[in-house]
Amino acid sequence: MYKDRDAALVNDCKRGDRRAMSQLVSQYQRPVFNAAYRILGNMDDAADTTQIVFLKVFEHIADYDSKFKFFSWVYRIAINESLNQIKKRRKQEPLADSQASPWRGPDEEFDAARLSSRVQGALMLLSDDYRTVVVLKHISGCSYQQISEILQVPEKTVKSRLYSARQLMKKSLLNDGNQDKGGGPP
Amino acid sequence: MSEHKHIDQHAEDLLNGGVDGVLSVAEQDELNSLLAGSAQLRDLNEELKTFTGLLDGLQEVEPPPYLQESIERQIRLPVHRNQHEEKQGFFGTWLPAHWLRTGFALAAGAVLTVSIYEMGSGPMTAEDASNLVGTVIKSQAAEQGELLDSIHIFTNTLTGRVELRKKDDLFTLDVQLNSDGPTQVVVNFAGRGLEFESITRTQDQKDIVSIVDGSVNVASSGEKHYTLNLRRTTNSEGREIAPLELEFFANNALVHEAKLSVSQ
Repeated sequence: MYKDRDAALVNDCKRGDRRAMSQLVSQYQRPVFNAAYRILGNMDDAADTTQIVFLKVFEHIADYDSKFKFFSWVYRIAINESLNQIKKRRKQEPLADSQASPWRGPDEEFDAARLSSRVQGALMLLSDDYRTVVVLKHISGCSYQQISEILQVPEKTVKSRLYSARQLMKKSLLNDGNQDKGGGPP
Repeated sequence: MSEHKHIDQHAEDLLNGGVDGVLSVAEQDELNSLLAGSAQLRDLNEELKTFTGLLDGLQEVEPPPYLQESIERQIRLPVHRNQHEEKQGFFGTWLPAHWLRTGFALAAGAVLTVSIYEMGSGPMTAEDASNLVGTVIKSQAAEQGELLDSIHIFTNTLTGRVELRKKDDLFTLDVQLNSDGPTQVVVNFAGRGLEFESITRTQDQKDIVSIVDGSVNVASSGEKHYTLNLRRTTNSEGREIAPLELEFFANNALVHEAKLSVSQ
């Protein structure tokens, strides 16, 4: 995350430079896609959300205030848009929540990734607030302070949500593991 | 991972801070001393490390290969105009800008009217014809209004978005599409207490607009931005309106279907 470089590219974008826009998209599409994927639990939804995020970013690029970090702004839009998608999905398909637990992803094709799939499943069981903090910390690699900037909540709240979310996920994985031992194949 | 007896909040904060590597030297010393004195805390610390390791170890997923190109294709940046381009030409100096705009708008309106007149020989019912209230450019107020819903279309042959806005009893569909081939959008508003009001901004003679059996059908190609206006009929006031159904065709194939919620 290069603040000065980003600021220069954003200025070039404001002047209509498409190469600068391309560089910013190239730099941030992967982290935005990954954050959206871990929040939404679905590749197609994450791809759609990523596109919407960048359309919004460049639609409002003239309003962007360079006093703030560009990546924080992009992540804030990404998180809000992911949560909007979840709300929209819940509105359209009220039963979608129950589908969150048996998460299906490309990882499942490999035994080595079965654990990763279970972790994603536990992530999907968290509330939106908790899941967002876990994703920003462990997927996006943001610090407490950066998460606080992105979500616009105090650092204390970030810590409290993160610690609680980890506890809940641990419990969920523990239950999952016990169920596997009890009823699943060896 | 096992269950543990209650650990006090301060110790838990230190454990989490330690795992995240954010403790000060004094806090780290305090944690070390707590760990030295409690087997339960040591177990919990190991569990937390293992668990956060799992989270940190979640593999990054590759975005679809088309994603970057698709995003870039849809982004419109501000057009940078140099001093030479900003010079007004003869007509620009002579006529105020809004006169020119009005002229273009009237020309576009005439084209649309002709298109709809030609389409009139098709399967239009009397009721449909009565819904053709206005086809000429409407005021810019139609572009404002409360955002009710929006959709984005990302397919190999067609990309774009549609926003549904409401102002008083006017519902506005702001449509932006981009396609290499012919496209067609069908908006079904039958039985919803709405009537077709107008369409704006299509200025291409090849665009065809038709209103058949309670649906608006717009055929175009290339990059398009237009606005469809539907007005609530007086006898439907206070009634719940079912979502509008939209179908998108590209190269004569249905590529996307969507619903736009009329109530927030």
